[in-house]
Parts: sequence; structure tokens; C-alpha cells
Amino acid sequence: MKMLPTRHSTLPLHRAGFTSVPAMLDYAAKGETGVTFYNAKGEQLSALPWREIRDRAHVVARKLIGAGFARGERILITADTWPGFFDSFFGAQYAGLLPVPVSIPVGIGGKDAYLDQLRRQFAASGAVAAVGLDDLAGYLADAAREFPAIRLHGGMEALHSLPEKPVDLRPLGADELCYIQFSSGSTRHPHGVQITQRALMANLAGMVGPAGLDVVEGDRAISWLPLYHDMGLIGFLMGPLASQLSIDYLTPRDFARRPMQWLNLISRNRSTISYSPSFGYDLAVRRGAAQVPPDLDLRCWRHAGIGGDMVRADVLERFASTFEPYGFDRTAFIPSYGMAEVCLAITFCPHDTAVRTDTVDRTALAETQRAVPAADPGDHQRARRFVICGRVLPGHRLEVRGPDGAVLADREVGRIFVSGPSVMPGYFGEPEASREVLVDGWLDTGDLGYMLDGEIVVTGRAKDLIIVNGRNVWPQDIEWAVEAKRVVKNGDAAAFSIDTGEGERVVVAVLARVSGDEARASLAREVAGAVREAIAVDCDVALVPPTMGLPTTSSGKLSRARTKANYLAGLYAPKPEAA
Amino acid sequence: MIVETDGMTDTLERARVSGQSRGEVIREICRHLVPFQTGERPITGDTVIAKDLTIDSLAIMDMVMELEDHFDISIPMNVVAEIHTVDQLADTIQKLCARR
Repeated sequence: MKMLPTRHSTLPLHRAGFTSVPAMLDYAAKGETGVTFYNAKGEQLSALPWREIRDRAHVVARKLIGAGFARGERILITADTWPGFFDSFFGAQYAGLLPVPVSIPVGIGGKDAYLDQLRRQFAASGAVAAVGLDDLAGYLADAAREFPAIRLHGGMEALHSLPEKPVDLRPLGADELCYIQFSSGSTRHPHGVQITQRALMANLAGMVGPAGLDVVEGDRAISWLPLYHDMGLIGFLMGPLASQLSIDYLTPRDFARRPMQWLNLISRNRSTISYSPSFGYDLAVRRGAAQVPPDLDLRCWRHAGIGGDMVRADVLERFASTFEPYGFDRTAFIPSYGMAEVCLAITFCPHDTAVRTDTVDRTALAETQRAVPAADPGDHQRARRFVICGRVLPGHRLEVRGPDGAVLADREVGRIFVSGPSVMPGYFGEPEASREVLVDGWLDTGDLGYMLDGEIVVTGRAKDLIIVNGRNVWPQDIEWAVEAKRVVKNGDAAAFSIDTGEGERVVVAVLARVSGDEARASLAREVAGAVREAIAVDCDVALVPPTMGLPTTSSGKLSRARTKANYLAGLYAPKPEAA
Repeated sequence: MIVETDGMTDTLERARVSGQSRGEVIREICRHLVPFQTGERPITGDTVIAKDLTIDSLAIMDMVMELEDHFDISIPMNVVAEIHTVDQLADTIQKLCARR
């Protein structure tokens, strides 16, 4: 199979500035670049030039319109990295339907949790159709049973077997929504971010423009990021599309299995742009370093972006040291910051600066919410290092505010607010949840940070959200998993994460209403097992004496923050190792 | 390796028919799982992989991948999502081997 070209023969590079996704695809379809799928062995599975993606999408759109689906209706799509996703996502764009990309099941024994999640997503999106991988057709049917509004569900055959009718396309336009992004909120109460065409176009302009990745002729993208995540879908499908690049894909599973294939493909295809959360760089070092082919050549990789979780300087430094002998340039690193509520990106670091950090005093940070430069940056007990994440995109604003809403000075830690054309209009069908985060045109990101000479330094999250291996996990979901298995009673579990300096470790504190070492050890095993089975996350278990109880807030709600403080103070067993 | 063989006679019998020996499949699974055994509890067909052992989710994925390579099969993700025990995993592998 021939490789899709990196450059067009005649089509001029048109960097963003389109009005809608269909308009972007119409333009890219005039060139020769496109999308290529690879397997875990690095073999090419299939290649779809943008032109073919457009043509196939037109056919799917005529089938959807012909089947009577109305403008604005939602179609849920299991967003695995395979051609079916492109057919259905872009088909919906030309049919005036809104795609709702969702994840695929993870790990063994995850069926029930996955079906539950599907049902909640059906309810939250009001989807009328659901298509996905053939392997998941049975799950979609199972979950759809309770939703009579779903008129079509199944594998891709369900779509393809619809008759193609001679109807006019009705592409989504500049003033309409583009799709619904589920990546915010817990799986119990999922919030679907409304991605509008206009906000997406604005964010893409920032991303591929000079303040972002500054895409140029000759760039080639590669990604293993899941397409149900904003960084995968917007960063590495919409981004390349908005600048007519070729993009090469590995599935997230295949990357996790063989992380070296990511780097092998960069080397082979002379890729220039790729992103990963810190954990992906970590995985590549830990599991890939032993099998580096001697001819690996990463000199082509000019933008190695980092986003999606807290950027970890140590991890990136290890990655750079490991792969510098193979031509990796550490100044290629571009730390960045964003969230689905602004489509994807809000800040980028300047180019060619490598990873810059700021090391501050831990005590001042915790007690006075001030980022005071550490007296001795090498003293890890007293100093804490953060990565500087860059400036806000042009046309957008970013403020760090104190508890009273006042904008804070440099080095004062507060909540991060952003405004500008990339900000969402709200969560789909959730005016109340939207009002909680959108005030006077500003988005409350729920993240904490401080400003440093016009750049943001993200220090943590104001909310309880846990991020493990790039996955957003809500503590409620972990607690619920433990309670659902009846391992402990409702309200007897509190989940939080602790920062190990290289990543987050999940801790579940449970009331231990059992005595004896054997029973206590068995309870801890059961809790960890329940969490692993339902959420595919590994955790430490802290046993809380029932006499002590779990701390609550003044309104009687579980206080995870105080549970965590107690745990770190060594009040529960086992005591944490010094962090 | 601690593998309880009680009650495995009939499964071994079943295996002879399907081409890939049940014993070999179980042995191969246990080779991956034994490092994650907790205490003195032996690994049996009923062992719930994600729950009864200290194996983490990444290691489970590794194991599934290596079993796929070893037996030259591919376990569909919906099937993986329905596997809880060692026996279920072995059944799946045998079924896919027989179909190969």
C-alpha cells in the first residue's frame, strides 16, 4: 500500500479560517493528503485521502437524510480509531446531524460499567441513532432497549444498508453546533459540551496559527490519542483537517501495548507534529526504551506537545534523555493547557524553549496560596516544581481570580477563568450545570494556578476530579463502584488522588467495619478489586476506623479534601510514604 | 506454580476435542497471573482476575495481548469486557483457537 503524501502537488496550504467542518473537508478534499490507519506492528491497515472521506461522507449523509433523520438530531458513535468513525462523523456533518462520540470498553470484565455509561450518554444526549464497531453492536442494542427514541443502532452495516436517496445534502453551517463532547462530568452525571462550529473554527485558528503549532507546508501529524477525547478529535483530526495535513493513526490500545510503534512511525513517516499527555511519554520510556531500533531517527519531530493532564517535567526530561541519542530535540516540547469547554486549547508555550519550570516553596503554597520561589529548588521536601504552560491564545483572555472574584497578581494562586470565541455556549440540555461554570461570558475552569509574566502555571484542580493516565475519573464513580459491589455501605468510601510527583495515585478511604488483620486485608483487596473491575483504575486503600468516620463538610456532604488531608497526616492505615 | 487441578478433568477432556489443550491454555494464563497471587490463595478456574489478584489494569492488558500473540488469536473487545474469571478467559481462548 502506498503512503499518503505529506505535501500536495498544487493545493495551497490554507491554515484554518474556514466557516464549518464541512467547509474544511470540502477544501482538503481538493488535495492528496489524508488519513492512514496502522496496527500494533506498524503495518498500514488502510488509507483514506480526505477526498475519499468526503465522498464516503456524502453517501452516508444521503442515507441518513433519506432515512428521515431531522436536522439537529444526535447520533452516538463509538469513537474507536477506524474508518467507520470517519464515515459516521462526517456523514452526520453533511446530513445536519450532531455526532456524539463516546468511548469504547476498557479492560476485562468492564461490560456492565460500559452499558451503564452508554445508557447515561443516551439519556444526556437524547440520541436517536447509535452506530459503532461491529463488535459493539450487541452492547448498543442492549443499552438502546430502554430508549424508544433510538430508531437506528448497530455496527456500520446498520448505516451502510440504508438506501441512498437522491436528496440534497444539508451540511451543518457556521451558526450551528458541530458535535457533543462527553468529557466533562462524572459517568453518573455526564455533561455533554456543546461544540459549536464557530467556537471550533476559532480554536483551530489559534491551534494551527503562529501562537499555537504554527503549521507549515511539509508538516505531517501522527496520533494514538482516542477520538472520543477532545485532544484526539480536535487536536488530531480537526487540526490536520483544518490545515490539510496527512495524519497517521495508531489506536490507543495498540499504543499502550507497543508504545515504540508511535516513535517508529514518526521516524519512518518523518512526522513533525504529535501530542501526548505526560503519561504517554512516560510509557514510551518505561516500556519502549528496551526495544529502540538502532536506526530510529526523531530529528523530524518539531512539535512534541503535552496536554491533557498536569505536565510533568521529570517525565519529559527522562523522555528527552532517553531519545536524544536518536535525534529527539528537547526544545520540540510544547507544554499547553486547555479543556473541552473551550473546544481544546487555551494556552501554548512559545516554540523552541523546551520545558520551563518554576520551583516554589511548598509551605507558602499550601498555607498562603502564594507561589514564592523556593530558597533551595533542589530540596524536594520544601520545594515543588511546576511547568509553565504558556500564553493565552490571541483573541482570548485568561484571568486568575481570588475567592472574592478579584483578579490576582503574579504568583498568587487562584481559580483560572477564560473567555473568548472558543468558549462553549453551555452543556447540552443542562442549563443549570452550564450556569455554574459560565458567568458573564467567562468560563470557570475549575483549575487552580498562578500567572508568571503573562504565562499560566497550573497547580492543580479546585474540583475533586482525578486524572489517571490521561483519563478523567470522578471520585464519585470510584466510590459508587465500591458501594455498588456492596463491599462497603453507601457513604463509607471517599476517593481522592495524591500527587506522587510523577503522576496521580488514587486512594480510596473506606470505613473498616471489620476487625482482625486477615479481614482488614481482605476488605482492602475487595475494594481495590471492585475499583479495578468497574473503572480499570488501580488504587491504594486506606482503612478508616469506624469511630473516626469520614469527614464531612458543614452541609453534611462528604469532604474528600479533608479525607485526603487526614490520610496525608497519617491518621489512617496504612500511613502514606512521605510524598 | 500453584494451580488447583480439582474439577479440571472434564475441562481437559473438552480441550482434547477443540485442538488446543485446556491444560496448556490454563498453564499459559497462570504463567502470567502467578506473580500477582495474593497470600496463599491458589489460582483456580474461579479466580476473578481483576479482583482476586493484585494485577493492575495495564498488566491485564499486557497479559491479554501476550495470550493473543501466543495463541495467534484476537479477542474482540466485547468478549474481553465479559471475561471475569480464569475459566472464562480459557474458554474464550479455546473457542477462538478451535475456530482458527
